[in-house]
Amino acid sequence: MSELYSDVQRLKETYPDWHSAMLPALREAQHKHGYLSPDALRECADALGTTPAVCEAVASFYDMFHLAPVGEHMVEVCTNVACALVGAQQVLEAFEQELGVQAGETSADGFATLRPIECLGGCGWATIVSIDHHYRTHVKPEDVPEIVQELRDGA
Amino acid sequence: MAPELVLAHARERDLTKLAEYEAVGGYQALAKAREMTPQAVIDEVQASELRGRGGAFFPTGRKWAFIPKPDQNPNPHYLVVNADESEPGSFKDNEIMATVPHRFIEGCLITAHAVEATRVFVYIRGEYTGPYEVLVGALEELQSRDDILGGVTIVLHRGAGAYICGEETALLESLEGKRGQPRTKPPFPAIEGLYRSPTVVNNVETMATIAPIIDLGGAEYAKLGVPDSRGTRVVSISGHVERPGNYEIENGTSMRSLIYDLGGGIPGGRALKAVIPGGSSTVILRYDEIDVGYDFNSLLALKTAMGSAGVVVLDDRCCMVQLGIRISEFYEHESCGKCTPCREGTRWMTQILRRLEAGDADQGELDLLLSVCDRINGKCLCPLGDTAAIAVASYVDKFRGEFQQHVDEGGCPFGDSSPLHNVLAPVAMRTHSPAAVVPA
Amino acid sequence: MSTPPTVKLTIDGVEVEVPKGTGLVEAALAAGIEIPVFCYEPRLGPPVGACRMCLCEITPGPPKPQAACTLQAADGMVVKTALTSPMAAEAQNATLEFILVNHPLDCPVCDKGGECPLQDLTFRYGPGNTRMTFPKRTFDKPIPISPLIALDRERCILCYRCTRFSEQIAEDGQLVAVNRGSETQIATFEDDPYRAPFTGNVIELCPVGALTSTTYRFEARPWEIQDVPTVCGLCPVGCNVYATTREGKVKRILSRNHPDVDGGWLCDKGRFAYQHVRAEDRLRDPLLRVRRRGFEEVSWERALDEAERLLREAEGRIVTALSGSETIEQAYALAKLLRGGLGSHAAMLPEEVSDALDGFRVPLSAIGDAKTIAVLGDAPVVERAPIVDLWIRRARRNGARVVNEPDGADILIWCGPGGDGGARVAQLAQQVGASGAFYLPETANARGVSDAWAAAADTEATNPDPIGLLIVSGDEAAANADVRALAEQAERVLVISMFHGLAAGWADLVLPGTSYLERDGTYVNLEGRVQRLRRAVIPPAPDELAWISQLAGRFGVDVSPYPTAVFEEVSAIAFGGIPFGAVGDHAELPPATQRVDQGSGPAGVRAQQFDGLHLIRYRALFSGPAVERTPELQFQRPLAEVELSAEDANARNIRPGDEVTVRSNGTSVTLRARLNRDLRAGVVRIAEEHARDLQPDVELST
Repeated sequence: MSELYSDVQRLKETYPDWHSAMLPALREAQHKHGYLSPDALRECADALGTTPAVCEAVASFYDMFHLAPVGEHMVEVCTNVACALVGAQQVLEAFEQELGVQAGETSADGFATLRPIECLGGCGWATIVSIDHHYRTHVKPEDVPEIVQELRDGA
Repeated sequence: MAPELVLAHARERDLTKLAEYEAVGGYQALAKAREMTPQAVIDEVQASELRGRGGAFFPTGRKWAFIPKPDQNPNPHYLVVNADESEPGSFKDNEIMATVPHRFIEGCLITAHAVEATRVFVYIRGEYTGPYEVLVGALEELQSRDDILGGVTIVLHRGAGAYICGEETALLESLEGKRGQPRTKPPFPAIEGLYRSPTVVNNVETMATIAPIIDLGGAEYAKLGVPDSRGTRVVSISGHVERPGNYEIENGTSMRSLIYDLGGGIPGGRALKAVIPGGSSTVILRYDEIDVGYDFNSLLALKTAMGSAGVVVLDDRCCMVQLGIRISEFYEHESCGKCTPCREGTRWMTQILRRLEAGDADQGELDLLLSVCDRINGKCLCPLGDTAAIAVASYVDKFRGEFQQHVDEGGCPFGDSSPLHNVLAPVAMRTHSPAAVVPA
Repeated sequence: MSTPPTVKLTIDGVEVEVPKGTGLVEAALAAGIEIPVFCYEPRLGPPVGACRMCLCEITPGPPKPQAACTLQAADGMVVKTALTSPMAAEAQNATLEFILVNHPLDCPVCDKGGECPLQDLTFRYGPGNTRMTFPKRTFDKPIPISPLIALDRERCILCYRCTRFSEQIAEDGQLVAVNRGSETQIATFEDDPYRAPFTGNVIELCPVGALTSTTYRFEARPWEIQDVPTVCGLCPVGCNVYATTREGKVKRILSRNHPDVDGGWLCDKGRFAYQHVRAEDRLRDPLLRVRRRGFEEVSWERALDEAERLLREAEGRIVTALSGSETIEQAYALAKLLRGGLGSHAAMLPEEVSDALDGFRVPLSAIGDAKTIAVLGDAPVVERAPIVDLWIRRARRNGARVVNEPDGADILIWCGPGGDGGARVAQLAQQVGASGAFYLPETANARGVSDAWAAAADTEATNPDPIGLLIVSGDEAAANADVRALAEQAERVLVISMFHGLAAGWADLVLPGTSYLERDGTYVNLEGRVQRLRRAVIPPAPDELAWISQLAGRFGVDVSPYPTAVFEEVSAIAFGGIPFGAVGDHAELPPATQRVDQGSGPAGVRAQQFDGLHLIRYRALFSGPAVERTPELQFQRPLAEVELSAEDANARNIRPGDEVTVRSNGTSVTLRARLNRDLRAGVVRIAEEHARDLQPDVELST
């Protein structure tokens, strides 16, 4: 039996009502499985004591949960207004070129998924790029090759 | 320049460290508050005239006073902090949590005392890894400090990427492990909130303002600012300015000063075209409307608001139709799908705006856009749809000529010279349906 | 009793006074004004205010339209609907326009057409044309979300009635909304079928043609049908239903909301198993065993001659096995003939139900308001009397405790072995001071049949030996192993059965039986409520009462062929003389009787001790002759699962979904583990069809 089960039991105890453990449990399941595959959702549901349908209903509401496979790395470029005003689209395109994927896609080798994302809450430090959920600020198109190289080097 | 209260000492010291924070008098307000009765703390905050910094501007002390006393409702009380900052243009809570976590936590503990709660949930947006880690560190340092925590449990609950969870009832739904769809009000959270128990939902900046208020005394705090907008405010300035960033200002400072003094003016010698004054949900101001105080009443006179204090500055290269598309796409993407006008209307708005930008729209469709906005506005379950409609309608209202030009000239007069040209939005990534799209 | 406080408000200029707490939609109805709604459905819990169809101008309140469905009437409130307020009218138009921008408007090919709230409201209030010039959202359609239900996502207006039902009423967690915003869709997990006891209710809840019944699809238009008000005869609850008929055939079953009995919900067996009426193996003519040639179809005249001969040759040595699905009138007619006419008092009754229960008689809805409910007997309530499970869930949502011990409970429910026909539960109810007690029999009219049988004579029965003739009345009796065993000892066997095959091989004469949908008469449900069955369709053969009456005539026994007359006769003896006409559309529950002292009885509620776990084998809801004859219900047959308590699971390190081996001496079965937090420790449950030869004392291992 997976450790997810026992992790989720611990999460449930954090809250007065176990239902509140849903998002943390999904986060754990995604972390362990890479994405929320049907099996991950089933496992999560069994651990929570609910149904996989309920888990999917919740997971599919939130942008950070992936119901389809994603790359080893997540590259998310904010393209909301503040970032767009200072060139977010060009940053996104630079990543497309450097990673060899279209926005919204995962590279063929499974290395990275690139996607535009709504406001990341760093408008004053535009363009914001979230790489594996850590922000890079003031990103310019010319910074992109170095960022991708760092990723490839496993920095 | 007004005194910094929320961000005080943050530039010269590392206030993420407990010792540093205590060295500048940290947690003394908490000790002071705990000497007071809960009611006295509420009175003090009411005297400060503090209003919520999340965007709705509701008087904080009054919100706390709505919480029924334990003898009126036996259920436990909860304090839920809205740290789901997601409004385009706002990034102040990010910086507050990352740089003054203890001032924020101190505010939470004082508030917990005031509303007689022993559990605090901080709903922090899922993408905020940095601030989350800072708060985890701060709470770890507090683990051994029962004198500070005083039996209160603070749980950091991470969101998972949904703007709507910044709406307080959607946040509560999400915190209860559900899809983050707003509830109908009444009942208000103060009566039936988290787990149907009395709950105060406050914004991060509001919490970070509480300790300074207790320090200064409510009346002293209320001397800052202007009527109905007391004290200071952390304003996020972004877009086309030389020095974007968060600035703590005294309420009532002029918008011009925000853009030109704090922000350093428009880069590249370009002209100001417009400014979004309080995050994407607010009515836009034209370049000639910036001689206005940055406070509730002054902005209300221009039918707009401070909102979440996200000032986005746009220079003269920007196409307002393109802005409309990007904002409409944002709301379409973030609509929760519960109520009809928002779910269907924001999608329709985007469709019409795209047609306008492409030059395929006729006069009727420009009128239709306004009509659709009007039909959304005021009909929705929560403010998301309403604000989407108000914001986009304000672009048409303030820049009607430019929209008309798109119709008359059969295309966009700015094209790719506008920085908002062809920006890829997440909503455009959606495969709209598994089946092929057929004409209506 | 004091009258509840009322409030006065004005709706479209009409002043109306309603009880405090009344919703505005209902208050408007009281004033004769319609506030149109889609998402609003009070039976689904608190209003959600999602569809925005009900927007009204309301003072006091903010200067914008308010969702009337979310508000309660208050003193001095002034409500203006679209009739009198331009603001409300504009809001309503706006909502309808938004609902329709992505709606396919395919009413001519939609099953809902003609009985569709969206169609009606669009005609009444909607715009005449569309301003939408963009491609509409399209989806694959229709998608079967189960063999019973088709989903058309284009027609869906996302009112969330169906998902709220699944989440908050049935609590099955199967039908959900996925994605967000305009991409939201109704879905099941991984396109698995929506498999749960109450799924069909979402079809009735859907205010548009998004969720339709696969069995009703394209079968009829609303103007071609007749809805016959009757009650379901498939379990002891007796849900009130409409049987929709067209051209003499039952086309669907709808709820006929009896607020005290079913609350407007039906289980899928009651809703869909009507197809057994037209099963291919339905018997239409009597069958007579002919030496060496098996069975031969014979005329009714001949069949009655044979029946008369069998009865006479038995010389009173007759045993009657009853099913519990007969109407009161059928059972009484049979009893009058056999007991009164032939002095044959021996009978195998399906289950005797104790009169002691009458002292604790409360409506089923009282379960929903209870504070503490004790569920005793260990068999699964939902499998035996499904609606009772929904009442229990409702109580729990309202904060009630559901326990497995009687102490402190205000309602007791006995489901399973050892209940002694309810006498035991009445005794316990008295001991713990409960206000209500229920005993859940296995059959739909066990109570009515035993009362009717008893009403026909006072003589004590003596068991004949040898048995000259065994009369097997109905399919449940025919399928009963004990009855089969008795048939081995009987010289002759007469069976009344609906289907070929059940009686083949062991009956001498088989007379075609009828379904509850083909009968006029009365049933007594588990509350003790006498309810009226109405004939929805004509049976393919004369009904039981008709030929029993004829047969009785040959023995000089006077039995009327009319249920009315038979009921009046039996009612005078057994049902306090209530007239047939009083068993109305929504039958009343007779008041509780004086409680009689039951004595204290044995301590505790469980007689037997087990070394291992006590296995409860149960007859699954989705089993039996009617279900077997409904192809669309086959996916609902019980899974190969064993239900156990969390405590027993933890002790054996079993987690949900694990494969476990269930053993009793000498035999074992491998099943998937399912945890049930309501199950008492020490008990495991397996559906009859998966329990094979397991004995009551079992052990589990992974």
